[in-house]
Amino acid sequence: MINIDIGATAVAILTLFGIYSLMAISLNLEYGVAGVPNFGQALFVSIGAYTAGVTYTRILPLLAGVESVHPCGPTMGQALQLRSEVMAAQPVAGFINLALTFLIAAVLAGAVGFAVSYVTLRLKEEWFLALVLLVGGETVRIVVRGADDLICSHNGISGVAQPFYFLGDPRSSSLMFMILCVTLALIAYVYSQRLTHSPFGRMLKGLRENEDVTRGLGKGISLARAQIMLIGSAIAAVGGVLFALNTGFVNTNDYVVTLTLDIWVMVVLGGIGNNRGALLGAALIAILDRFTQVGAIALNMSGSPIEFNYVRFIAFGLILLLMLRYRPGGLLPESPLTTNAHDVARSMLQPRDERS
Amino acid sequence: MPPALLTTSLVNTIQIGSLYALMALGITLTFSVMKLPNFAHAEYVTVGAFAALIVSLSGNVNPLVIMLAAFIVGALVALVSHIAVFKPLEGREVSFYTLILSSFAVGLILRYILFMVADYFNLFDTRIRISLQILLREGYLILTNIFFWVVPSSILLVIALTLLLNRTPLGREMRALANNPGLARVIGIPVERVKNYSWLLVGGLAGVAGALWGLQTAVSPLMGWVAIISVFAAAILGGLSSFAGTILGAYVVAFSENTVMLFLNFNFGLDLAYKPAIPFIIIIAVLLIRPQGFTELIKRAGDLKR
Repeated sequence: MINIDIGATAVAILTLFGIYSLMAISLNLEYGVAGVPNFGQALFVSIGAYTAGVTYTRILPLLAGVESVHPCGPTMGQALQLRSEVMAAQPVAGFINLALTFLIAAVLAGAVGFAVSYVTLRLKEEWFLALVLLVGGETVRIVVRGADDLICSHNGISGVAQPFYFLGDPRSSSLMFMILCVTLALIAYVYSQRLTHSPFGRMLKGLRENEDVTRGLGKGISLARAQIMLIGSAIAAVGGVLFALNTGFVNTNDYVVTLTLDIWVMVVLGGIGNNRGALLGAALIAILDRFTQVGAIALNMSGSPIEFNYVRFIAFGLILLLMLRYRPGGLLPESPLTTNAHDVARSMLQPRDERS
Repeated sequence: MPPALLTTSLVNTIQIGSLYALMALGITLTFSVMKLPNFAHAEYVTVGAFAALIVSLSGNVNPLVIMLAAFIVGALVALVSHIAVFKPLEGREVSFYTLILSSFAVGLILRYILFMVADYFNLFDTRIRISLQILLREGYLILTNIFFWVVPSSILLVIALTLLLNRTPLGREMRALANNPGLARVIGIPVERVKNYSWLLVGGLAGVAGALWGLQTAVSPLMGWVAIISVFAAAILGGLSSFAGTILGAYVVAFSENTVMLFLNFNFGLDLAYKPAIPFIIIIAVLLIRPQGFTELIKRAGDLKR
């Protein structure tokens, strides 16, 4: 039998919850609220991760005032050791580097998201956008994997330590990292709630429901779509940075279509169009993920010939199919948005005798 | 580029292009008749390959028997996925993205069931067992009997499918359904039955494609998934509606992946690691610049929506 450390498991699940929440909130803003079918979420998440791979190898040594070593090829081990030393000894450099990583990743992903929305204008059918994003994400992955220098092609960058590594004790450093992830997720949640309930958010929902009517009301829909893609992509990239820090390495193999599907599962499970649903979906998937990992190890140790990891993917497929068929609104369906104007209008429409 | 290398790459283009055509026609057919971009198509191919592999392991089996087994299993899996998943969604007028997601989910489930099967029976990286004969060996170029199984079989199947669509009552009904489902129902076409037959046909052809694919490379649970983007690129080149366009598209994709890639590698030093990006670039370019694909070039020949 294996002993399960409840404290460490809780911290791991909450960390995943924070990271997944950022990804799910991003997709929910794009697809749930604005109706942009982003089947390339892995691309925007990966921009965050690749940025971390680059900053940890190029900018971090500069900030720490040590001579940088080329991260790939024969000096790979030396560069890895240098990163670990800097992260252990110079927390300030680590934090500045992390802030820069977030900034660069968000700006880069936001710019790509903004640019993508212009692609949509040229497409003949709306669902082509889903295909272009799906395929675009994979193309970027192949190009990054093919490039020898960026993140060392298929070797990836390891030793991308999380910022509290300097604490030494893994329990307290992962606790602090968990708090960082959850805090960022909550900030994103509060922001997206405000956005959804603002006039801009209502316009996006109008755009989702009927493009022509929204256009007819005099709203500039292409700019609105570009803006929401910018915001959503930036949030996804922040999630991607944390994702890379959590696993400790950056490798193109992590950012495949399956990751995009995972994020869709979260949003579909929680409730399309509802930010609270995105949080719920992220929480459930984080728990499921952790338990399949534990189950896989337990099953492996008991000598079973079947890999338990396969069960995870089958379960994800079944969740998607069952939700789409029996509860397409998700566990927490979107509730209609009402404003003060709506309430006033309704009270005026009520029959006279009821009001008196 | 030396001529021997060129010949080899052209042989590959023909072989792989024929297989792409067989798979892409299924995608085009599902999209036209069922209005569904089916990503689970990849797994019908893999399922067929595994069926063929398991049958072939029982001893010295005729390749035709192997292909038949793959056809039956592929057809049944496709029909089951229609009845269990896609048909219930059809009635509810769900959004297109729900359909895409569902097809991804079906593919995911099938793929990992196959992983379990391969794991359990220890079938990883096994080839379908048929007797291998080398017919021609000249420098780089090696022609085996596999080439003469793969290419004529796929071409014959493509021709058979085209004839079925153009010359038989079932084909006429399928085309009617592709053109105008409402009208097809009104004039008394048994829509559900035609759809069931279409699914059997699509799954069966994908299964045979898997069996033929498994003759040339090792069978793996990921093989269909790896090929699916190239196959979608071919179908998109055919405008997702034209049969002739899809076949042409399949050879264009295979040509770019083999001959053009090798040419770029040889003359400009482009790393072969970028090969998987080719179908992606084709898809993006076609969708952005010419979403109708080849359809207008070959309006007459074998267009589903004539």
